[in-house]
Amino acid sequence: MAAISYTSGNNWEFFLSRKADAGAVYGAVDCGGKLVYERLTPSRVPSVVYTKARPVTPLKLFLFPFKESVLPAVSPTENAVVIGPASCDLAGLSILDRVFAGGEFKDPSYPERRARLTIVSVDCQQPYQTCFCESVGVRPYAERLFDVNLTALADGFLVEVGSEKGAQFLEGLQTEEAGGDRLAQRAALREKAARAVREINSQFDLADIPERIRGIEMAERWQTEDVSRCVQCGSCNFNCPTCVCFLLEDTGTPERFEKMRLWDACLFPGYARMAGGATPRRTLFERYAHRLLCKYSYMVDNFGTVGCTGCGRCIAGCIGRIDKRKVLSEVVVSRTPA
Amino acid sequence: MNDNPYQPVRCVVEDLIRESPTIATVRLKPDVPFPFQAGQFVMMTVPGVGEAPFTPSSSPSVRERLEVTVMRAGRVTARIHRLAPGDIVGIRGPYGKPYPLERFRDAHIFLVGGGVGLAPLRSLFLRLVETADAYQSITFCLGARTPQDIIYKDQVFRQWQQICEKVCLRITVDRKDDGWKYQEGVVTTTLDHIQVDAAHSVAVVCGPPVMMKFTTLKLLDIGFSPGNIYLSMERKMYCGVGQCRHCLIGTKCVCQDGPVFTFEELRDTRNPFI
Repeated sequence: MAAISYTSGNNWEFFLSRKADAGAVYGAVDCGGKLVYERLTPSRVPSVVYTKARPVTPLKLFLFPFKESVLPAVSPTENAVVIGPASCDLAGLSILDRVFAGGEFKDPSYPERRARLTIVSVDCQQPYQTCFCESVGVRPYAERLFDVNLTALADGFLVEVGSEKGAQFLEGLQTEEAGGDRLAQRAALREKAARAVREINSQFDLADIPERIRGIEMAERWQTEDVSRCVQCGSCNFNCPTCVCFLLEDTGTPERFEKMRLWDACLFPGYARMAGGATPRRTLFERYAHRLLCKYSYMVDNFGTVGCTGCGRCIAGCIGRIDKRKVLSEVVVSRTPA
Repeated sequence: MNDNPYQPVRCVVEDLIRESPTIATVRLKPDVPFPFQAGQFVMMTVPGVGEAPFTPSSSPSVRERLEVTVMRAGRVTARIHRLAPGDIVGIRGPYGKPYPLERFRDAHIFLVGGGVGLAPLRSLFLRLVETADAYQSITFCLGARTPQDIIYKDQVFRQWQQICEKVCLRITVDRKDDGWKYQEGVVTTTLDHIQVDAAHSVAVVCGPPVMMKFTTLKLLDIGFSPGNIYLSMERKMYCGVGQCRHCLIGTKCVCQDGPVFTFEELRDTRNPFI
């Protein structure tokens, strides 16, 4: 099979129905105007959406569950396929892979679960008003880290193979040569989506955030009306494709060592509090600053890549209606020399 | 071989030594030898209760036993203070970077500790004494709030007094009582009026944040270079292996890059002493 080929909508749905019948296939479906993942049955295959922006849930949920036993460790045994992550989700994978599988110490379940997950990403064609991938160097279409990538055309899909795992998944799918016209259509759709994201963000100045945010740790600097609306719910942390913070909870008995790993959020007041009560970040503004510094500065140093993929979930899910782009424009860009 | 980083080594509690009203030392016998180097820390679990990071306070040369000195500060440490011989705990690690002893070679070494901060310094001190030939001198400045708050009393007041000719002990308390025959004053006062060849000296400091802050300022005044002042940093920690990101100080991970940093490494950090 060629790296990029074409399959008709009917062929794809027929193929996917068989896959959904045989194993765990998750697809992004419409739920009140938002995309959510559900485990597909063959009859639900026609409901999968391929043209909108990213689903509500971040891809990390498939690899790094909200709550999981790490002692004894869970051994993933099921192969799964997820259809619908966008490029911004894939960008987050590079940080997850680095943290849980790339260092001296490996997470007890992540590497196996990652190996068993086949990721079928889709080109984003209708960005949300909260999307800003283009501002952080991520394109609205996937260029790497996918097993298979789909570009929805009017009557079918361009199917790009990104890995051996992806090629194996596609065995049995009827395809034909992509053809120059369809490849040109794909290029036009991609450029249109990228332009749309840039237009959505034309009012924000988000240039060079990683260079400019460095060292802006003082709480006073972040004490703005927008930030003061934060209710410290942790929605931005939990929805973020790159937030990896977790806590460990001992759940055993005096005779047994058992540990659960749960997501944690750096905006929670107790996040960094030690025995005795001391905490390095007492105020909301310090915690808010820490979150953005972690994304745009610390992760760059730690992992070589910005910890923000522009997915906009932190904006869409914010109870305090804080637009991070506005905060970054005001606090970071407008007050630092270029 | 179990490669789960969260699997602890089972240990039997052999003894619980009351050092002061708030500090106790737990002597552990691990099921298998547990090698570590001075300055590295372990995650110690009380099963069913919780886990916290501690730097062993015993000599790293002793492989079969391990001592951990713990101040009662919260839920887990309160439970540790109620341990009894025969109880089971777990330790995993060792984690973090050890004290860089190769950089101490031929130097005058100053250990400055306060309260429970003496714990990692005792481990280092015992190691230094074992290899004293490699160093010019070892000055151990130690303090506590009151005479009864001094920990390792038997060692401080007896065993260590004549332990080695290169060793000088400077003992102080913030508030003395009637029988006290050493200095009175905060621990930085042990550095008053001393002749220091600062260019060939290193200082290792561990104690409460305010003590570390003022000791650092004092050492800089005396002429120590920021790169020769070693500070133990403390942060909330869960994993110990650089994943949970709770212990970040800026871009540095205390559990992997620390827990000991030079002041040089921390000077650009906002408020490292909390």
